[in-house]
Amino acid sequence: MPPDVVRPTSRDIFLVCLKMGAFSFGGGLSGWIYREFVERHRWVSDSDFNATLALSQILPGANVINLVICFGEDLAGFKGALSAFVGFLIGPVLGVIGLYYFVNRLSDPTLLSVGLAGVAYVAIGLLILICWRGLRGTFRQPEFLPVVLIVALLVSGFGFPVLLTVLLVAPISIALAIWSSRRNG
Amino acid sequence: MDEDNVLMRLVILLVPLSLASIGGGASILAGIERGVVGQYGWFSHEEFLNLFAVSRASPGPGTMLSTLIGWRLEGWTGAIVATLAVYVPSSILCYVVYRTTNLSRERNWYRILRTALAPVGTGLVIAGVINITRISGAGLSGLTMSFAAFFALLMFPRLPLPLMLVLGALISLALFRVSYM
Repeated sequence: MPPDVVRPTSRDIFLVCLKMGAFSFGGGLSGWIYREFVERHRWVSDSDFNATLALSQILPGANVINLVICFGEDLAGFKGALSAFVGFLIGPVLGVIGLYYFVNRLSDPTLLSVGLAGVAYVAIGLLILICWRGLRGTFRQPEFLPVVLIVALLVSGFGFPVLLTVLLVAPISIALAIWSSRRNG
Repeated sequence: MDEDNVLMRLVILLVPLSLASIGGGASILAGIERGVVGQYGWFSHEEFLNLFAVSRASPGPGTMLSTLIGWRLEGWTGAIVATLAVYVPSSILCYVVYRTTNLSRERNWYRILRTALAPVGTGLVIAGVINITRISGAGLSGLTMSFAAFFALLMFPRLPLPLMLVLGALISLALFRVSYM
């Protein structure tokens, strides 16, 4: 943190996270976190942001929650991390329940289901985009393509539990990554 | 339904998924679907699709689907229990790893883990897409809409998502009206 920047209290962290969580529509959230923590408040340096982002993407859980927990810990210890976690989730929890409540009062059940199916199809399109980006990354290292296929097949085809699948496949994939990083120097 | 029993089952279902959610909420969609629709039969296919749609149209990190599921089953208690069950385990793991590792020194390890785990996450999201499409009963029109949305977002990444979702609802309603008349 630059010397002229005041260290935030856990209350400051709570309020920033509350705002970001409540108005975060449709992803792109890590960009917003960057603007708030790095550019606007200068609580976090650019290189710390990138290293922490990498960690939060590797670990299970929502990237953005992981990210603000790490920053909260950095800036104000455990209380900071807890404030970030709670602050970030309040908006989305109320938002999703409020929206459900609202749309259910909007129209008759048949039309509602038809309309929501349309929303779901678009949302599936967004998931396909996530798959596409992931696959494009994997094609750059084609030795990992079987990992993608095996995971999808185990979970979707054979109904394997998700955690079991991860515990089975991740070690193999890590071994593969170590092997290919040694081979490439 | 016995309340404690439902809450307990929800926790037992969601905690392992939390620890497996590599790449975020989308990766455990298949697991949630199989649990609440297949295993416990708490929701019909149609209800689940509705919950999925609402959760994707709300603000928040990826998916708040589990919160909504908890709310539908056991009201506010269910919502809070489900939210905590899906976010606390992964958050504790992140907190502990962050505190015990040194970001700058272990960058090489991060790179290797990222290379290794990204394909696992992608595989999970693909499984989610397959499962949700399977239960959506999407005909040709549904699949066409999904792929149209995919191509639109691919070509124009700045398209506002809420607008796209509303458009999806309107097109779906229009198609319904046409087939009804």
